[in-house]
Amino acid sequence: MNNMLKFFRSAIAGPLVALLIAIVLTSLTTDRFLTTQNLINVSLQVSTVAIAAIGSTLVILTAGIDLSPGSAAALTTAVLAVLVVNLGVPLPLAMVAVLVLGILMGLFNGFFSTYGRIPSFVVTLATMSIFRGLAFLITEGHPIFSISPYLEDIFYGKVAGIPLPFIYMLVLYTLTAIFLRYTRSGRAIYAIGGNESAAHLSGIHVNRTRLLAFILAGLTAAIAGLLMAARLNSGSPNYGVGLELAAIAAAVIGGASLAGGYGNIISTLLGAFTVAVVQNGLNLNAVPAAWQNITLGAIIILAVGLDMWRGDFGRWISRLFSSRQETEESK
Amino acid sequence: MDKSTTPLWDLHSVSKEFPGVQALDNVSLSINTGEIHALIGENGSGKSTLAKCIAGVHQPESGQLIHEGRVVELFHPIDAQAHGVATIYQEFSLVPTLSVAENIFLGKPLSRSRFGGIDWEAMRSHTSEILDQLSIHIDPDAIVRDLSVAEQQLIEIAKAMSKDSTLLIMDEPTAALGLLETQRLQDLIRHLAEQGKAILYISHRLDEVFQIANCISVLKDGRLVGTNPTTELEMNDVIKMMIGLEIGQHYPKEINVTPELCLEVNNISTEAGVHNASFDVRIGEVFGLGGMVGAGRTEIAQAIFGLDELVDGEILLSGKPIHVKSPSMAIKAGIGLVPENRKEDGLLFNFNGAPNITLSRLDLILRGLFLNLRQEEHIGQEYIKELNITPSALERSVQFLSGGNQQKVVIARWLFSQAKLLIFDEPTQGVDIGAKIEVYRVMNELTAQGISVLLISSDYPELLAMSDRIAIVRDGQILHISDADKLSEHRLLSIASGAEANNNQNQY
Repeated sequence: MNNMLKFFRSAIAGPLVALLIAIVLTSLTTDRFLTTQNLINVSLQVSTVAIAAIGSTLVILTAGIDLSPGSAAALTTAVLAVLVVNLGVPLPLAMVAVLVLGILMGLFNGFFSTYGRIPSFVVTLATMSIFRGLAFLITEGHPIFSISPYLEDIFYGKVAGIPLPFIYMLVLYTLTAIFLRYTRSGRAIYAIGGNESAAHLSGIHVNRTRLLAFILAGLTAAIAGLLMAARLNSGSPNYGVGLELAAIAAAVIGGASLAGGYGNIISTLLGAFTVAVVQNGLNLNAVPAAWQNITLGAIIILAVGLDMWRGDFGRWISRLFSSRQETEESK
Repeated sequence: MDKSTTPLWDLHSVSKEFPGVQALDNVSLSINTGEIHALIGENGSGKSTLAKCIAGVHQPESGQLIHEGRVVELFHPIDAQAHGVATIYQEFSLVPTLSVAENIFLGKPLSRSRFGGIDWEAMRSHTSEILDQLSIHIDPDAIVRDLSVAEQQLIEIAKAMSKDSTLLIMDEPTAALGLLETQRLQDLIRHLAEQGKAILYISHRLDEVFQIANCISVLKDGRLVGTNPTTELEMNDVIKMMIGLEIGQHYPKEINVTPELCLEVNNISTEAGVHNASFDVRIGEVFGLGGMVGAGRTEIAQAIFGLDELVDGEILLSGKPIHVKSPSMAIKAGIGLVPENRKEDGLLFNFNGAPNITLSRLDLILRGLFLNLRQEEHIGQEYIKELNITPSALERSVQFLSGGNQQKVVIARWLFSQAKLLIFDEPTQGVDIGAKIEVYRVMNELTAQGISVLLISSDYPELLAMSDRIAIVRDGQILHISDADKLSEHRLLSIASGAEANNNQNQY
């Protein structure tokens, strides 16, 4: 019973329970969920959201917020398409270029949120509009199809039966987990989220660290964009709508505190899976898109709410287990 | 001086206890109409607590509050307001974006009828009347944000007096004011007293108190030492009353001073209000900065730690000039800061003990590119043993530690950072006696290891006992430097409060 209690108090318990609930509910409502083809679909779906959620988590850990990854991903697909199709740039070079673009977009968000002293909420709300606007501008509002036959391989390729995007995702999560736990910058991200003033007085470079978090968020948004472009072999200013919401949902379902300083990347991955399973379940049950939006919003409120109410909830759970423990002992 | 037979307020044997502190101990005091009654005492002597009892913020455990001959109980500031008590705290309660008139009528705007809109004209003219009565010449339509601090202070008083108050409590009203502004405020206070208001004037600036008050009550460790008419008192008597006779509490002071210099501060000035300050700190020395709250001690520390840029002067550490523009540069140079407010500026509640300790020098636990978490754990254990911190600090968030343990975690951070100079800003504030002695013991260990300490403390007995030398700071300037054992608390207080500065002006 003690192990049970410990588990309920650990950081990973909440998101794991949320994921299990989502899986159980989905498999109860449809028998198509647990088919191999569908699970591959889910793993493809989850990869985009999960990769963008890495950036969202990093920014949230510093007590900031990034609302722009959806638009940043759209701009990435648009620039990639324009570079390759309209300007004839070789695909590998164009891919490197859009990753650099991701870094620049993050740099822009980060610069104004730190040295520019504008709240990140405002900056990224603005760039959410700016990045998508730029995507419309360079594509003249039309999707650009058939970028390159090789591009699809990036998305549809498999290694040992595992879809490539799933592997990218696992690699990126592993790298992020190492970064957060074992590097000075990772530690600094937690420190400024926990207590900015104390971190500053302990010699942590607050602005530089926050800038780094935004740059990495821009980079992961661009990688998510690349996967979107590869999936349909096209670029469009309409891609990635709502990606920021799904990514933030993944982070908060994973238990990241919007006040900063608390959260871990593995829990975000579980959160991303939860979002993907819920979306997949709604799709399989032919629920209209409008309801999917409503559900996602409700999940965010529930996830943040549970975090806020956790004190009461935790006490209730411990009482539940401790009373049972007593009765067992009395036997 | 017209005195009616019953005082406006009569406090009878008022006692108030906070966890671990007897804040007020059987204090009896009378306040009469038309009287400017000064309440003075050292930091922590119970002045503010007493004022808050009359203002209904605190409820005394025993004793009576008697208003015009009747015993009253004040459960809430609103009860006190109903009995004519108006309080002006050090922090203003004005809304900066609203006009003067709106602020004065905040929460009770005048309306045309029961359902009608706000009667702006009436509010404006009423405000003008109130301001005229107080001889304050400020436009009722002025936006509060655009007024100077002194003008805001006057509006704050006007707002308090608009409620037909009979007693005005002012807690350090001149803390943020310049000389001229202080005079203007004092004129207003005299004016109010002539109109028959009673004023309870809390201050630690003795020169001001002697200029304005009719009578002076001195508090010491929560007890009333005495109340006397100002005319019967000399400044010296008051200082003696404030200090009391019981010096010689136990401080485990060890002297570890060496002749070599650690820090040299040469004629530094900053925009934050340090003016031409010079001093030096020797290796192994505890150098105290004494002075009143707001005198500029913290600002001097901020300049040394790279938080405020120097506009003039230079700082040398171990004989080499250092140009620190940020805390990280100061830390690299070998300086550490134990901040006054350890919860807001010191600790990270999302970490447990070890990462809190290593934070300022993560480079020391790097193995290649990566943090060596096992080494970090060992370091945590080491300092927990060395500083006698509770072992649970390694497993739980530092949020759950006692004040003393928290303070020692912050000190451990700087021990680990291998600082040559540690700045302690009010290191024993809010920690219990046992933990205080631990902090003193740590200071001894630091100096024995050749670390120098710059100690800022408003606890004068502590400052005098633990420092080797003391600089007295006032208005951002260093007025006096001397060996701690040659300085009495009396002298320290009289220089810091400005009592002696006046004498000096007469002498030279």
